[in-house]
Amino acid sequence: MGKVIVITSGKGGVGKTTSTANLGTALAMIGRKVVIIDADVGLRNLDVVMGLESRVVYTSMDVIEKRCDLDKALVKDRRVEDLMLLAASQRNRKDDIKPEQMQEICEKLKQEYDFVLIDSPAGIEQGFHNAAAGADEAIVITTPDVSAIRDADRIIGLLQHQRIESINLVLNRLSPALVKKGNMISKDDVLDHLNIDLLGVVPEDTGVIASTNRGVPLVHNDGSPGAGAYMRIARRMTGQRIPIPEMQEENFFSNLLNWFSRNK
Amino acid sequence: MENSIVKLRGYKDGLHLIINPKVSLAEVEAAIQELLDGMNQPLAGTSIHIDMRPSPLSSEDLKNLETHLTENYDLVVSGVNIFDEKDESPILAAPATHSISQSLTNDTQPDFEQSQIVRQMIRSGQTKSCLTGSVIVYGDVNPGGEVVAAGDIIVLGALRGSAHAGANGRLSSVIIAMELVPLQLQIGSYVNRPPIGQKPRGYPEIARVGAEDIIIVEEFIKF
Repeated sequence: MGKVIVITSGKGGVGKTTSTANLGTALAMIGRKVVIIDADVGLRNLDVVMGLESRVVYTSMDVIEKRCDLDKALVKDRRVEDLMLLAASQRNRKDDIKPEQMQEICEKLKQEYDFVLIDSPAGIEQGFHNAAAGADEAIVITTPDVSAIRDADRIIGLLQHQRIESINLVLNRLSPALVKKGNMISKDDVLDHLNIDLLGVVPEDTGVIASTNRGVPLVHNDGSPGAGAYMRIARRMTGQRIPIPEMQEENFFSNLLNWFSRNK
Repeated sequence: MENSIVKLRGYKDGLHLIINPKVSLAEVEAAIQELLDGMNQPLAGTSIHIDMRPSPLSSEDLKNLETHLTENYDLVVSGVNIFDEKDESPILAAPATHSISQSLTNDTQPDFEQSQIVRQMIRSGQTKSCLTGSVIVYGDVNPGGEVVAAGDIIVLGALRGSAHAGANGRLSSVIIAMELVPLQLQIGSYVNRPPIGQKPRGYPEIARVGAEDIIIVEEFIKF
């Protein structure tokens, strides 16, 4: 039986959808059976980030209202085997779905798949409650800025209230150069504040923008720093013990060094 | 929350319940119910004054009203002021210099039997309130989190959120934290906040009401 993991943050724009797309793809690349669910009903965009927009025929709403079977609503990924997407309806609103209905879908999916990742909408209202309803575990995404950390703190409280026991943190868009200058909150300060286990750190990577626009998750682009971080997180999710590397400040020499080691 | 029969106003010496004179007791009670039910912060344990003009309410009605407030809303009525028609408003009649009313100086020791121990951190949006005694938190209180206690507040971690000790007016209450970098501190009716950009000092600190009626913070060594 698989695991249902909700990916959430409270604040918008910190990388929930990007992380869901990349972690889902990464897990499928290392041989796991994965479904990613877009729980952002009414504002769907996981399918766009995955580049599957044109293939979506049925959505979770069609499954709930019994217009089609669950299996039929799952969209197969273009590039990786064993990666499925359950898209959100664009026409409905978040309160059209009840937590029990989400729970039912998650229960069915985890019989068959190793990982069910749920992309939660921003906010702490109905949409978040629906997304978290069927989850066994949670991954909280935050960026190193005060408002995102504050919202992450709030969301962790709500998740604990829902009796989700395993809550892990992904620190997104960390820029080592800015931390060194003292202009960005460091990893240790974020951890000290939020007091939950760290699953991984994703460095600031401008490649994300291009990959989102092209509809190809970053992890397909081997050499990028973000891809490496997401692959490591995915391996940690499968139970492998991989240390979190201390981030190096990027400069000309480190880039050169990376380039050499990549082309060996 | 404006209500034509009763109004709640905060003045220097505490909360005042202002009652429109030309109505019956039943109407006043209904209006109070509506007013208090509409508030998201329960006032239980708070002491209030009743302000009114000479009214058709007899002194017996007034007694009934006081017991009603005490029994149903857990409020402490600390005084009844009846103003002449000539007086413009209670705000003018309110004492010019601040005074601590009788119930506040009466340093009633809160019942520590009913103190609370919180065995987890208090995160943004969470409130821990104990109106019967003190609160001890085994962990941090993060920004956006809040602890309210009738007695003292002790945080065995970093206090980064808000804390309100002596919520029933006990001014000898203290707030102690291993790391005291709060958004806001309140003891009784006094409020204070640290200067902007305050860094943790690396030792436990205690906040209490000092001689000049402001909350002071100093290194905590012992009581």
